[in-house]
Amino acid sequence: MIDKKLAATMCDYAQKAVSERLCGDGDVIAMRSKGGFVKNAAPFAELTEDKLVEVKADDRSGQNALLGELFATREDINAVMITHPAYVRAVAEAKATIPAVIDDMAQIVGTTCKTSKSAEVADVIKAVKGRNSCLIAGGGALTSGRTMDEAYTCALVLDKAAHVFVCGSVVGGCKVINTLEAKLMRFVYKKKYSKTNQENISQREGD
Amino acid sequence: MAWDKEEEKRLRQVIKDSGVALLAENLVQGTWGNTAVRLDDDHMLVTPTGLDYVALQPEDMPIVQISDPSVWSDGKKPTSERKIHAAIMAARSEINATIHSHPVWCSVFASARVELPVMSDEMQKLVGGSARVGAYGLPGTKKLRNGTVAAMQGRNACFMANHGVFCAGRDMDEAFEIIRIMERSCKQYIEQKTLEATGQKTYSDELLFDYFKSKYGA
Repeated sequence: MIDKKLAATMCDYAQKAVSERLCGDGDVIAMRSKGGFVKNAAPFAELTEDKLVEVKADDRSGQNALLGELFATREDINAVMITHPAYVRAVAEAKATIPAVIDDMAQIVGTTCKTSKSAEVADVIKAVKGRNSCLIAGGGALTSGRTMDEAYTCALVLDKAAHVFVCGSVVGGCKVINTLEAKLMRFVYKKKYSKTNQENISQREGD
Repeated sequence: MAWDKEEEKRLRQVIKDSGVALLAENLVQGTWGNTAVRLDDDHMLVTPTGLDYVALQPEDMPIVQISDPSVWSDGKKPTSERKIHAAIMAARSEINATIHSHPVWCSVFASARVELPVMSDEMQKLVGGSARVGAYGLPGTKKLRNGTVAAMQGRNACFMANHGVFCAGRDMDEAFEIIRIMERSCKQYIEQKTLEATGQKTYSDELLFDYFKSKYGA
């Protein structure tokens, strides 16, 4: 039985992603549950609570392999989104790394967002190691968080960073925020949106 | 504080409505971005920090002292970027409304730190010329504030390096028109530059993506 609050949260954020045009083929939304994790079994635009499925923690079949591995190896991750907005896809196809081109990326995503070497599970896990997001080679953006709100906000900002990075290429390239300042911004952001804040959101999101 | 209370009530609603309209037109995301309107020579109403524009009520807007933005009353805690709004209002007596946001096309120029040339008669009329980029500074710093004030000289809009855009008008309707023309002009310039870079005659996103991949692809 899927937790009602968790199911409502997932459907709500899937709709938000649709309205922000983050979606494409193969979008994934998943949240950790008591027995493993819950994921979508329908495209975001058609997602309703009865189109969510619960997957056991040790199930590594098909698409479950990446999600299962993420939830098993990253205790800090309770929510995952894989979205496919157009500019993100362009960067993922180029297998490029997005540097901190705007300050909200530095704060919310981090100093860089790498594209995995391939779409293989091991390569994606490697690309997201120590981070909350990565791009999947030839695919979309994997974003995660302690809460779905964090994973969604990260997807939103990453899409904007990809847009800026791609468009910047025709006006001489983006000027990257230096690593030290980007790290400082990330530190301040994480401190501001403290563990307590995320715990409050977590209670609202369920399970 | 000697302004008309009815006028204050009207301006509170103006700020509330402008926030909702910014969201509706995709000129702001979530709770990011902020606006201000002048009440008198030394006071302005601003948006509070971190609150959803839809949920925000007119009475939530705090009154901030322009000459010392650390002083505020009424409403909820004001935006941390109120010092920039105050600095522009202090330097420019004709400005009565300001918008700071991070819309995506403007953010390209903020990040590339490239001046946007005049793209149309409308932009010339509303912005007052090209849109410059203010000096880079960390959010909330004096450097960012001073850079914005300098870049706004003789203009009604500027980019804030790696941060966003700042627009100012005689009233909120005009400030709104300015942020709209800025976003449109930035998009137009990117499309023009894509055609120049690729030698093609018709713009498409795919053209831009292919150019990007040829330049940055592994």
